[in-house]
Amino acid sequence: MAGVQQLRHASLHDVELAGLAAAGDRRAFGELARRHGSAVRGLLRRMGAPSAEADDAAQDAFVAAFERITEFRGEGTFAGWVKKIAARLYLRRLQRARRLRDLAVEADDAPAATGGGAEDRIDLDEGLKALGPAERMCVTLCFGAGLSHAEAADALGLPLGTVKSHVKRGLERLRARLAPSDSDTLEGRRGNG
Amino acid sequence: MAEVEFERRLERMFSEAPELPDAQAFASRVERRLDRGWTTRRWLIGVAGVVGGLVGAAQLIMSNFLSQVESASTGSAKVLSVGLSEVAPRIEWMATLPSGPGLVWVASALAVVALGFALTRVIGEI
Repeated sequence: MAGVQQLRHASLHDVELAGLAAAGDRRAFGELARRHGSAVRGLLRRMGAPSAEADDAAQDAFVAAFERITEFRGEGTFAGWVKKIAARLYLRRLQRARRLRDLAVEADDAPAATGGGAEDRIDLDEGLKALGPAERMCVTLCFGAGLSHAEAADALGLPLGTVKSHVKRGLERLRARLAPSDSDTLEGRRGNG
Repeated sequence: MAEVEFERRLERMFSEAPELPDAQAFASRVERRLDRGWTTRRWLIGVAGVVGGLVGAAQLIMSNFLSQVESASTGSAKVLSVGLSEVAPRIEWMATLPSGPGLVWVASALAVVALGFALTRVIGEI
Protein backbone atom coordinates (compact mmCIF):
# COMPACT_ATOMS: atom_id res chain seq x y z
CA MET A 1 0.00 0.00 0.00
CA ALA A 2 2.80 2.38 0.99
CA GLY A 3 4.71 1.34 -2.12
CA VAL A 4 1.74 2.11 -4.35
CA GLN A 5 1.33 5.49 -2.68
CA GLN A 6 5.03 6.20 -3.12
CA LEU A 7 4.79 5.34 -6.82
CA ARG A 8 1.77 7.59 -7.20
CA HIS A 9 3.58 10.43 -5.47
CA ALA A 10 6.65 9.92 -7.63
CA SER A 11 4.60 10.64 -10.73
CA LEU A 12 3.16 13.91 -9.43
CA HIS A 13 4.43 17.44 -10.02
CA ASP A 14 5.88 19.42 -7.12
CA VAL A 15 2.87 21.71 -7.01
CA GLU A 16 0.49 18.75 -6.80
CA LEU A 17 2.58 17.21 -4.03
CA ALA A 18 2.58 20.52 -2.18
CA GLY A 19 -1.21 20.59 -2.48
CA LEU A 20 -1.45 17.11 -0.98
CA ALA A 21 0.99 18.09 1.76
CA ALA A 22 -1.14 21.14 2.53
CA ALA A 23 -4.03 18.73 3.08
CA GLY A 24 -1.88 16.89 5.63
CA ASP A 25 -0.33 14.18 3.43
CA ARG A 26 3.08 13.76 5.04
CA ARG A 27 4.14 11.07 2.56
CA ALA A 28 3.62 13.52 -0.29
CA PHE A 29 5.86 15.97 1.48
CA GLY A 30 8.38 13.17 1.99
CA GLU A 31 8.54 12.83 -1.79
CA LEU A 32 9.33 16.55 -2.04
CA ALA A 33 12.07 16.09 0.56
CA ARG A 34 13.46 13.18 -1.46
CA ARG A 35 13.48 15.21 -4.67
CA HIS A 36 14.96 18.41 -3.31
CA GLY A 37 16.79 17.35 -0.13
CA SER A 38 20.13 17.06 -1.88
CA ALA A 39 19.84 20.52 -3.42
CA VAL A 40 19.04 22.09 -0.07
CA ARG A 41 21.81 20.22 1.73
CA GLY A 42 24.20 21.15 -1.06
CA LEU A 43 23.26 24.81 -0.75
CA LEU A 44 23.92 24.82 2.99
CA ARG A 45 27.25 23.12 2.50
CA ARG A 46 28.13 25.75 -0.06
CA MET A 47 27.23 28.39 2.50
CA GLY A 48 29.98 26.89 4.60
CA ALA A 49 28.03 24.52 6.86
CA PRO A 50 29.79 21.29 7.83
CA SER A 51 27.98 18.22 6.40
CA ALA A 52 26.25 17.15 9.63
CA GLU A 53 25.12 20.67 10.43
CA ALA A 54 23.94 21.18 6.86
CA ASP A 55 21.83 18.02 7.10
CA ASP A 56 20.34 19.10 10.44
CA ALA A 57 19.54 22.54 9.13
CA ALA A 58 18.08 21.08 5.94
CA GLN A 59 15.80 18.83 8.01
CA ASP A 60 14.71 21.84 10.06
CA ALA A 61 14.04 23.70 6.83
CA PHE A 62 11.83 20.95 5.42
CA VAL A 63 9.90 20.67 8.68
CA ALA A 64 9.45 24.46 8.68
CA ALA A 65 8.41 24.31 5.02
CA PHE A 66 5.78 21.68 5.86
CA GLU A 67 4.44 23.89 8.63
CA ARG A 68 3.88 26.71 6.17
CA ILE A 69 3.26 24.73 3.00
CA THR A 70 0.04 26.66 2.36
CA GLU A 71 2.22 29.71 1.63
CA PHE A 72 3.71 27.92 -1.37
CA ARG A 73 1.45 28.61 -4.33
CA GLY A 74 3.66 27.36 -7.11
CA GLU A 75 4.62 30.82 -8.34
CA GLY A 76 8.31 29.88 -8.19
CA THR A 77 9.86 26.45 -7.91
CA PHE A 78 9.45 24.44 -4.73
CA ALA A 79 13.21 23.97 -4.57
CA GLY A 80 13.76 27.73 -4.72
CA TRP A 81 11.18 28.32 -2.02
CA VAL A 82 12.58 25.76 0.38
CA LYS A 83 16.16 26.90 -0.32
CA LYS A 84 15.28 30.40 0.85
CA ILE A 85 13.77 28.98 4.02
CA ALA A 86 16.85 26.83 4.58
CA ALA A 87 19.28 29.69 4.00
CA ARG A 88 17.46 31.96 6.43
CA LEU A 89 17.17 29.21 9.06
CA TYR A 90 20.87 28.46 8.77
CA LEU A 91 21.75 32.13 9.17
CA ARG A 92 19.56 32.26 12.26
CA ARG A 93 21.44 29.27 13.59
CA LEU A 94 24.73 31.05 13.02
CA GLN A 95 23.34 34.13 14.68
CA ARG A 96 22.30 32.16 17.75
CA ALA A 97 25.76 30.63 17.95
CA ARG A 98 27.23 34.12 17.48
CA ARG A 99 29.10 32.90 14.45
CA LEU A 100 27.47 35.35 12.08
CA ARG A 101 29.37 38.21 13.64
CA ASP A 102 32.58 36.79 12.22
CA LEU A 103 31.35 37.64 8.75
CA ALA A 104 30.92 41.30 9.60
CA VAL A 105 34.43 41.71 10.98
CA GLU A 106 36.06 39.39 8.51
CA ALA A 107 39.24 40.74 7.01
CA ASP A 108 39.99 40.30 3.36
CA ASP A 109 41.96 37.14 3.95
CA ALA A 110 40.69 35.06 1.06
CA PRO A 111 43.32 33.32 -1.00
CA ALA A 112 44.44 35.29 -3.98
CA ALA A 113 42.73 34.37 -7.21
CA THR A 114 44.72 32.53 -9.81
CA GLY A 115 44.30 32.87 -13.52
CA GLY A 116 41.56 30.86 -15.16
CA GLY A 117 41.90 28.61 -18.13
CA ALA A 118 40.85 25.21 -19.33
CA GLU A 119 43.74 23.64 -17.45
CA ASP A 120 42.61 25.35 -14.25
CA ARG A 121 39.07 24.10 -14.53
CA ILE A 122 37.68 23.33 -11.14
CA ASP A 123 34.15 22.83 -10.04
CA LEU A 124 31.98 25.33 -8.24
CA ASP A 125 32.52 23.81 -4.82
CA GLU A 126 36.28 24.12 -5.13
CA GLY A 127 35.86 27.65 -6.41
CA LEU A 128 33.71 28.62 -3.44
CA LYS A 129 36.26 27.19 -1.03
CA ALA A 130 38.77 29.65 -2.41
CA LEU A 131 36.59 32.59 -1.37
CA GLY A 132 36.57 34.28 1.99
CA PRO A 133 33.67 33.25 4.28
CA ALA A 134 31.74 36.49 3.73
CA GLU A 135 32.17 36.41 -0.05
CA ARG A 136 31.21 32.77 -0.15
CA MET A 137 28.15 33.38 1.97
CA CYS A 138 27.00 36.38 -0.04
CA VAL A 139 27.56 34.75 -3.43
CA THR A 140 25.77 31.57 -2.31
CA LEU A 141 22.84 33.48 -0.84
CA CYS A 142 22.38 35.54 -4.00
CA PHE A 143 23.06 32.92 -6.65
CA GLY A 144 22.26 29.68 -4.83
CA ALA A 145 19.36 30.65 -2.57
CA GLY A 146 18.03 33.28 -4.95
CA LEU A 147 17.98 36.13 -2.44
CA SER A 148 18.33 39.67 -3.74
CA HIS A 149 21.23 41.72 -2.43
CA ALA A 150 18.85 43.58 -0.15
CA GLU A 151 17.37 40.34 1.21
CA ALA A 152 20.85 38.93 1.78
CA ALA A 153 21.91 42.12 3.56
CA ASP A 154 18.83 41.92 5.75
CA ALA A 155 19.35 38.23 6.54
CA LEU A 156 23.03 38.75 7.31
CA GLY A 157 22.53 41.98 9.22
CA LEU A 158 25.12 43.68 7.01
CA PRO A 159 24.87 46.98 5.12
CA LEU A 160 23.67 46.59 1.55
CA GLY A 161 26.87 48.12 0.17
CA THR A 162 28.97 45.59 2.06
CA VAL A 163 26.99 42.70 0.65
CA LYS A 164 27.26 44.12 -2.86
CA SER A 165 31.01 44.46 -2.58
CA HIS A 166 31.33 40.92 -1.16
CA VAL A 167 29.31 39.61 -4.09
CA LYS A 168 31.32 41.63 -6.60
CA ARG A 169 34.65 40.48 -5.20
CA GLY A 170 33.43 36.91 -4.90
CA LEU A 171 32.27 36.89 -8.50
CA GLU A 172 35.58 38.26 -9.70
CA ARG A 173 37.46 35.58 -7.83
CA LEU A 174 35.13 32.84 -9.02
CA ARG A 175 35.33 34.02 -12.61
CA ALA A 176 39.08 33.89 -12.41
CA ARG A 177 38.99 30.35 -11.14
CA LEU A 178 36.19 28.85 -13.21
CA ALA A 179 37.01 28.08 -16.78
CA PRO A 180 34.79 29.63 -19.44
CA SER A 181 31.96 27.42 -20.54
CA ASP A 182 30.89 26.70 -24.07
CA SER A 183 27.29 26.90 -22.99
CA ASP A 184 27.62 30.53 -21.92
CA THR A 185 25.26 31.74 -24.57
CA LEU A 186 22.24 32.63 -22.54
CA GLU A 187 21.40 36.24 -22.22
CA GLY A 188 19.32 38.15 -19.76
CA ARG A 189 19.67 40.19 -16.68
CA ARG A 190 19.35 38.92 -13.16
CA GLY A 191 16.71 40.82 -11.21
CA ASN A 192 18.97 41.39 -8.29
CA GLY A 193 18.97 44.77 -6.65
CA MET B 1 27.52 41.12 -21.29
CA ALA B 2 30.20 38.68 -20.13
CA GLU B 3 29.24 39.49 -16.56
CA VAL B 4 25.62 38.62 -17.17
CA GLU B 5 26.60 35.40 -18.92
CA PHE B 6 28.81 34.45 -16.03
CA GLU B 7 26.05 35.17 -13.53
CA ARG B 8 23.63 33.00 -15.50
CA ARG B 9 26.20 30.26 -15.63
CA LEU B 10 26.78 30.52 -11.91
CA GLU B 11 23.06 30.23 -11.24
CA ARG B 12 22.93 27.12 -13.40
CA MET B 13 25.89 25.63 -11.55
CA PHE B 14 24.24 26.30 -8.22
CA SER B 15 20.98 24.73 -9.37
CA GLU B 16 22.70 21.64 -10.72
CA ALA B 17 23.45 20.12 -7.34
CA PRO B 18 24.13 16.39 -7.63
CA GLU B 19 21.75 14.03 -5.83
CA LEU B 20 23.40 12.77 -2.67
CA PRO B 21 23.53 8.99 -2.19
CA ASP B 22 21.46 9.12 1.01
CA ALA B 23 18.65 11.23 -0.46
CA GLN B 24 16.06 8.55 0.40
CA ALA B 25 17.34 8.22 3.97
CA PHE B 26 17.21 11.99 4.36
CA ALA B 27 13.60 12.06 3.16
CA SER B 28 12.72 9.25 5.58
CA ARG B 29 14.23 11.24 8.45
CA VAL B 30 12.16 14.26 7.47
CA GLU B 31 9.01 12.10 7.33
CA ARG B 32 9.78 10.61 10.74
CA ARG B 33 10.15 14.09 12.19
CA LEU B 34 6.84 15.13 10.67
CA ASP B 35 5.16 12.00 12.05
CA ARG B 36 6.68 12.59 15.48
CA GLY B 37 5.52 16.19 15.45
CA TRP B 38 2.05 15.10 14.41
CA THR B 39 1.82 12.50 17.18
CA THR B 40 3.01 15.02 19.75
CA ARG B 41 0.49 17.55 18.49
CA ARG B 42 -2.35 15.04 18.70
CA TRP B 43 -1.39 14.20 22.27
CA LEU B 44 -1.19 17.86 23.18
CA ILE B 45 -4.58 18.51 21.60
CA GLY B 46 -6.08 15.52 23.40
CA VAL B 47 -4.63 16.59 26.73
CA ALA B 48 -5.79 20.17 26.11
CA GLY B 49 -9.27 18.87 25.34
CA VAL B 50 -9.43 16.79 28.52
CA VAL B 51 -8.08 19.66 30.62
CA GLY B 52 -10.55 22.03 28.96
CA GLY B 53 -13.40 19.63 29.66
CA LEU B 54 -12.34 19.27 33.28
CA VAL B 55 -12.01 23.02 33.70
CA GLY B 56 -15.43 23.46 32.12
CA ALA B 57 -16.93 20.84 34.44
CA ALA B 58 -15.24 22.43 37.46
CA GLN B 59 -16.54 25.84 36.46
CA LEU B 60 -20.07 24.51 36.11
CA ILE B 61 -19.95 22.79 39.47
CA MET B 62 -18.32 25.75 41.23
CA SER B 63 -20.83 28.24 39.85
CA ASN B 64 -23.69 26.92 41.95
CA PHE B 65 -24.63 24.64 39.13
CA LEU B 66 -24.98 21.71 41.50
CA SER B 67 -27.85 23.07 43.54
CA GLN B 68 -29.56 24.49 40.48
CA VAL B 69 -29.43 21.11 38.78
CA GLU B 70 -30.76 19.46 41.94
CA SER B 71 -33.86 21.61 41.80
CA ALA B 72 -34.13 21.60 38.07
CA SER B 73 -33.58 17.87 37.72
CA THR B 74 -36.78 17.03 39.63
CA GLY B 75 -38.82 19.22 37.32
CA SER B 76 -36.91 18.04 34.27
CA ALA B 77 -37.42 14.45 35.24
CA LYS B 78 -41.17 15.01 35.42
CA VAL B 79 -41.16 16.73 32.04
CA LEU B 80 -39.07 13.92 30.61
CA SER B 81 -41.36 11.30 32.06
CA VAL B 82 -44.39 13.00 30.57
CA GLY B 83 -42.63 13.44 27.26
CA LEU B 84 -41.46 9.87 27.16
CA SER B 85 -44.84 8.49 28.09
CA GLU B 86 -46.36 10.45 25.21
CA VAL B 87 -43.80 9.22 22.75
CA ALA B 88 -43.61 5.70 24.14
CA PRO B 89 -46.64 4.29 22.37
CA ARG B 90 -45.04 5.25 19.06
CA ILE B 91 -41.41 4.47 19.85
CA GLU B 92 -41.36 1.65 22.31
CA TRP B 93 -37.61 1.50 22.84
CA MET B 94 -37.46 5.01 24.21
CA ALA B 95 -39.54 3.92 27.13
CA THR B 96 -36.60 1.83 28.28
CA LEU B 97 -34.48 4.98 28.84
CA PRO B 98 -34.02 5.93 32.48
CA SER B 99 -36.20 8.88 33.26
CA GLY B 100 -35.06 10.41 36.47
CA PRO B 101 -32.51 12.88 37.84
CA GLY B 102 -29.78 10.49 36.65
CA LEU B 103 -30.65 11.25 33.05
CA VAL B 104 -29.99 14.94 33.64
CA TRP B 105 -26.60 14.10 35.12
CA VAL B 106 -25.74 11.91 32.14
CA ALA B 107 -26.78 14.72 29.83
CA SER B 108 -24.59 17.13 31.79
CA ALA B 109 -21.63 14.75 31.54
CA LEU B 110 -22.19 14.43 27.79
CA ALA B 111 -22.29 18.19 27.52
CA VAL B 112 -18.91 18.39 29.26
CA VAL B 113 -17.50 15.79 26.86
CA ALA B 114 -18.92 17.76 23.94
CA LEU B 115 -17.34 20.91 25.32
CA GLY B 116 -14.00 19.14 25.56
CA PHE B 117 -14.40 17.84 22.01
CA ALA B 118 -15.27 21.28 20.69
CA LEU B 119 -12.26 22.76 22.46
CA THR B 120 -10.08 20.03 21.00
CA ARG B 121 -11.31 20.85 17.50
CA VAL B 122 -10.73 24.56 17.99
CA ILE B 123 -7.16 24.00 19.22
CA GLY B 124 -6.62 21.56 16.36
CA GLU B 125 -7.72 24.15 13.83
CA ILE B 126 -5.46 26.77 15.41
